[in-house]
Amino acid sequence: MSFIKKFIEQEKVNRRNFLFATAAGVGGFAAAGMFGPGMARAAIQDPTIAWSYRNRTNPYWNEIVSGGEAFVESLGMPKDALVHLINEGSSEKSLADVKALLARTNGDLALAIDTNDAPNARPVVEACAQSGAYVSTLWNKTDDLHPWDFGDNYVSHMSWSDEKPAEETARILLEAMGGKGGVVHLGGIASNNPAIERLQGLKNALVDYPDVELLAAEPADWDTQKANQVMSAFLTRFGDEITGVHCANDTIAYGVLEALRAEGIEDMPIVSYDGNPQAVQLVADKKILATVFTNPHWGGGITAALAYHAATGTFKPSEEPNEHREFYGPTIMVRPDDAIEFKTSYLDNVPTYDWQDFWGPSNGQIQYK
Amino acid sequence: MDGIVTRETLVKWAPLLVLLVLILFFAVMEPRFISVRNMARIAIASAPALMVAVGVTFIIIMGSIDLSMEGTVSVSAVVFAFAFLAMGGTVLSWAWLALPLALIVGAVIGLINGLVHVRLRIPSFMASLAMGFVGTGFALLLTGGDRIRIEDEVFRGLLTERWFGFPVMCYVALLFLFIAWFIQSRTTLGRNFYAVGGGEELAHASGLNVDRVRVMGFMLAGVFYAVGALLAVGRIGIAETATGNNFMFISITSVVVGGTALWGGIGGVWNTLIGVLIVNVIGNGMVVIGLPGYVQDGVLGLLVITAVVLSTDRKSVSFVK
Repeated sequence: MSFIKKFIEQEKVNRRNFLFATAAGVGGFAAAGMFGPGMARAAIQDPTIAWSYRNRTNPYWNEIVSGGEAFVESLGMPKDALVHLINEGSSEKSLADVKALLARTNGDLALAIDTNDAPNARPVVEACAQSGAYVSTLWNKTDDLHPWDFGDNYVSHMSWSDEKPAEETARILLEAMGGKGGVVHLGGIASNNPAIERLQGLKNALVDYPDVELLAAEPADWDTQKANQVMSAFLTRFGDEITGVHCANDTIAYGVLEALRAEGIEDMPIVSYDGNPQAVQLVADKKILATVFTNPHWGGGITAALAYHAATGTFKPSEEPNEHREFYGPTIMVRPDDAIEFKTSYLDNVPTYDWQDFWGPSNGQIQYK
Repeated sequence: MDGIVTRETLVKWAPLLVLLVLILFFAVMEPRFISVRNMARIAIASAPALMVAVGVTFIIIMGSIDLSMEGTVSVSAVVFAFAFLAMGGTVLSWAWLALPLALIVGAVIGLINGLVHVRLRIPSFMASLAMGFVGTGFALLLTGGDRIRIEDEVFRGLLTERWFGFPVMCYVALLFLFIAWFIQSRTTLGRNFYAVGGGEELAHASGLNVDRVRVMGFMLAGVFYAVGALLAVGRIGIAETATGNNFMFISITSVVVGGTALWGGIGGVWNTLIGVLIVNVIGNGMVVIGLPGYVQDGVLGLLVITAVVLSTDRKSVSFVK
């Protein structure tokens, strides 16, 4: 709760400062504060580049940050030059770290961040804008927070909509099941947005397959061991009724495969999501029918690149159209036929990306429901 | 609690009673729950958790706590996987040496844990929690966030080879449970754990080197965490930093639900077996009868409170901190 309290206090202070400033007849100063000192000093010569994220234990975030490091190296700096702010799943720590870094760098900062949860995006963005730093966000922000409301300082937001790709993998699965039988879904942490969207994708596809029953959907918390146990219990509950498995991500699929292996079941149709290297190999081996690659390496790199190039004045965010400020990240469907080729070109040798092609691989402007 | 059923009897048999009631409940709700195949599934899920919980049982009997299991399990699993692949990648080659190596790694982490706790006089709660973080960080450093797959058919036989319907890993866990029981009841060290937990001052006054017992306890726990790590890798064929995830919650819950008192001196490895089975029967049974996951967490929470209430003699505790 202290996070909320802090947030409210900070909001109060902002408002008070604004009132004081206006009352003192320095409205101009306040206006500059509102529209961002970024305008006053359009280019920062050598900004500190930072990535703020959950932690590196998770393979997904590991990929994201490796992209950030690749970008830093492309500038001719060692990869240690990237400052890591690790929030360990705490929004409060995320905000506190950003503020500390803003103070230390005096606002000469290009920040890429996932703010851990959506409400935390606003205080982070406001703190950056106030100090004249440049920030690009990934994944989390509330629907009413937009980069174009902050002049140049809130550079961009990238996210992924998982509903469509998850629906596509579901269709592949349901076709492989012959359009009949029973499917189980093992999901992510129940309240996570991607978990909700991926389950919804399956439900959308099921509408066209009336002979397939959704036997159960149970959260497996993105965790291999939990997925393993949930799948085992599903096998007890439904036995041979299960003719297909829809997994919310690759780590879950690994647990499912092992639960099936323990029972000697080898040919169960399974689809998954995320396109981790081992999952792609399993797709090539036809153990998994399809997975979706969201190119976290590129996502992590380009988010840092956007903040950096806006800070150094390579481009001016406020002159870009809205679809360049809020956009969906790339998705690539990986099937058995192209898995090997995909693996060689994307995973075994990480491609050298042009970190100034900001929007090439992106997937259109974010739509709100 | 006058009459035929004394408080002691109730405390002693309540966990087993709870387990039987749970099994009966789930079996009535869904007859397939009681099938041998499902029993095997519960046993597979329980085996790694049982090893970790047995390890921490020794510590809790001493009246201390060890929260380093997640880090220790991750490091042991990752070191095992690297060594196993480097030395040949199959149990039939020199790679079998990776198995004892993992146990040694567990023991070393436990030793450091114990020394930090005893020599630096840091409460076991804080010392072990910190060591756990160090372990998780070290495992991450080793893997760089990657997963290591162990494909060897012989090692994976832990899961795929079955005797009487149960995979080999269940028998391995049972073997180590007997070893733990032997240490607990037939060795001086085991008796000393109870002595320290029952009354540290008295044990010290009787000439017992309490510090040494503590350090040995943490080492022993580390070895059992490593066994748990090996079974966890055997179960899913992957060693990674996340291998240790959730073991803290499951093992401490199991020990407490099994009736080992957090104050020390009471309980033992058989209680822990019952506790682990209760936790896993709930985990499996809830899905089998189709109750949502959050109910499962709620039920476990209530069970923990009930277990602590039952195993605590409130007359002897003047205040709770």
